[in-house]
Formats: sequence, C-alpha cells, structure tokens
Amino acid sequence: MTRGLLALALTTVILVALQLAAISPLRVGGVVVMVIWLWPLSLSLTGDTRVAAVTGFLAGVLFDAHSLAPFALSGVVGVVVALAAGPLGREGVGDLDGAAWWVTPALGAATGFMSPLVYVVAGALTGHPDLWRGNLGVMMVVNAVACAVLARPFTRLAQYLANSGGWSRA
Amino acid sequence: MSNVRTRRGVVAGSVVLILVLIIVATSGGVLSGAKTIARGVVAPFSWTISAIARPIGNAFAGAFNYSNVVNQNAQLRSELGRAEMRASEVQTLEQQLQEVSALQNLTFVGSLRVLTAQVTTNSPTNFSASFTIARGIDDGVQDGMPVVSNGGLVGRVVAVTSHTASVLMITDATSVTGATFGDATTDVLIDGRGVDQPIVATSVPLSAPISPGTVFVTSGLSGGLYPAGIPVATVKAVTLTPGASTYDFTLAPSANLHSLGYVDVLLWEPAT
Repeated sequence: MTRGLLALALTTVILVALQLAAISPLRVGGVVVMVIWLWPLSLSLTGDTRVAAVTGFLAGVLFDAHSLAPFALSGVVGVVVALAAGPLGREGVGDLDGAAWWVTPALGAATGFMSPLVYVVAGALTGHPDLWRGNLGVMMVVNAVACAVLARPFTRLAQYLANSGGWSRA
Repeated sequence: MSNVRTRRGVVAGSVVLILVLIIVATSGGVLSGAKTIARGVVAPFSWTISAIARPIGNAFAGAFNYSNVVNQNAQLRSELGRAEMRASEVQTLEQQLQEVSALQNLTFVGSLRVLTAQVTTNSPTNFSASFTIARGIDDGVQDGMPVVSNGGLVGRVVAVTSHTASVLMITDATSVTGATFGDATTDVLIDGRGVDQPIVATSVPLSAPISPGTVFVTSGLSGGLYPAGIPVATVKAVTLTPGASTYDFTLAPSANLHSLGYVDVLLWEPAT
C-alpha cells in the first residue's frame, strides 16, 4: 500500500511537471488544457474517492505554486472533481473493462467542461470575483474535448496504479 | 518492530517539519513558503520534461518546414532540415537582437533607468495573464516596478525572487491601470479582462473628447502604480448605451503582448 501510494505521488508530481513544462505552453485555441483536473476523475473512477481527493488537491497546489492565480484554488477543483466522481467510481461507472467504451470519455468531457466553471465559482466564493472574465466558454469546450480524448489513457494509468497499490475497487 | 517503525516515522516527520519551518521562515510567510516547497518538489521533473519536450517540439517544427521539399530525396531533406533549423535559429537571434535594440530606443520612459530582461515562461494557467522574467532581486528588480516593451506598458512586477520575477500583465482580470489622454484633464481606469481579451475603460464621461485612435497613457497620479506618460492602449471601439451618461471603450494595448521576447523593467518604485 505504502509503495503504491509513493508510486501515485511520483506519478502525480510527474503529471504536474508535464502540465507545466509541456501542456501549458501548448495552448489549444489560446486555451490551456488542464490535465491535472482530469487526474482526480481518473483516480476516483478506480473506486477510492479519498485517495482521488487528496491527490487532486495536492496536484492543484503543486500547480498553483507556479502561477499568479489564487493559491490552492486548482486543488479545490481537484477535490470537487474527485468527490463528484466518487459515487460513479464506487458503482463501477466508467470502469474501462466493464462499462461501454464511450462512458469514460463522456465523463472526461463532462469534467473538462465543468472544471473551469467550478474554478470560477470557487474563485468567486473565495474573494476572487474577476476570474469569470476571459474565454470561459472556449476554455470549457477545449478542455471538454481534450479530456474526452485523454480520459481513457489516464484512467488506465490510474487503474494500473490502483491495482498495484492496493486501493482499487476490486 | 512496530516501535522501530514508529521511531523512524517520528524522526522522518521531524526532519520534514524542520525543513518546512526553515523554508517558511526564510521565504517570507506561510503562503510563500508553501509555494517555494511546491516549486522545489516539481522543479526537477519539469526541467527534465522540458529538456525532453523541447527537442520533440523542435522536431515538429522541422517537420513543418520539410513539407516544402517533399520531392527531395532523403539526404537532401536531411541537409535542408538542418539548414532550415540553423536559419530559424539565426532568424530568432535576429529578432531578439531587434527587440533588444528597439528597447534601447524607448521614448516614453524618459530619464528612468531601465533593466532589460528576457521573458522565460508564460503563465501556465488560463486564469492569469502573466509571465516570468530572468531578472530578480539580485539585479535590482523589486515588487511593483513597471514593465514595458517597445510600444508601451506591459504590466508590473508582482512577485520577485533572487533571479526571477513574475509580471502581471495589464490584460489580467485583476489588473487596473490609471490612465489619461490628451491634455490629461480626464482620468480613466483601464481594466483587464483576462488572457487574450481586449482591455476596457468604462464609465468615461461623455464630455471627454475621445474617439477611435485616441491613445491612453499612464496618469502618474500620486500614489499610483506607474509613472506618468507610458502609453497603455489605443481606443479601438466606443460603446454608447442609449440614455447613459458615460462611454465604454474597448482598447488595444500599445505594446504587442503576443510576442514578448524581451521586456524592460523600469527601475521605479510606486510611492507607498
């Protein structure tokens, strides 16, 4: 279990680094695709909401340390994503081997679509009301498409870590 | 066995706690300390990924250039690719040289001392219009200093470390710039609207003689964030709501914010 959690922590740090060094500079339609919000969804679909929430929060905090955006707000979004997907994960919805092939991408699309909105709402609730400005609609659409495409590989990776780490649903 | 594990855990936890406290104490606050720790955790990995991603990106760029020589044989294409890569590097260097040269001829910074800095990274998020420069406290950069580029105001320094500084651009949703125009009798506030969005000035009195093409410059009011006279933006469109007593303006930043290779930091501190 401990070794599995270390592997998860290392994978998460690498994903954040990948987001910062490779994905963020590669703006799609002027928009940054936020894979760090897809990661808690993928982990949640493996069945352990608590691990997903903690990991999503830490990934967000690590990411926010590199920007001037409100600190830890990305982490809050990660927690919200993990908690929202938790019941689905426990029920086996989005299970790569059990559910229809399109379910996981659909959940990824929903996550990508809603996450920027959650970020803006969370920002407004924590004293940053200006975050709604900008290309919110474009952000939601681009992230939805990107997360739909990436959802299956991310969930496969999460499933592998969960199985080897000992916190999977099975 | 269990006691040994517990003892090891306590020792490891204590070491981590001491390290955290040292970092927090030396970096000026809990939030700053947390950010420093988080950056330290990610840094080795992001450096490695950058080192891997950059050549891949270059290979993609090279592939685009190859499309013009599809009829060449493999050897010629290889040689051409190398030549184009070299040409591209030279072009980049020339562009950088032009930018630096242009910065030396800035007309609006008057007698203020400037420090030229290379832009290293852009904001990694959708929610902050900012970038990092390769100059910091050791070079004389301080919090609040204005940053300009050839053409006008870019933003101001909002966070600074020994060798780097973060610059919040005037397009950021939280940015507000005091400006004026013409004979400087009317002051307006120019608001950012987020990454890649036009900046705006709202609630400008109808009596103000403003039309498309009017240039706004920093007002330099006492206690303001910027010295007077730095070009900020040009009026692009005027919105007049029927029955309203004020105008709203959509503005185009004077500085070209899309291609910032080098910027100038004005060594001027806002009055506190």
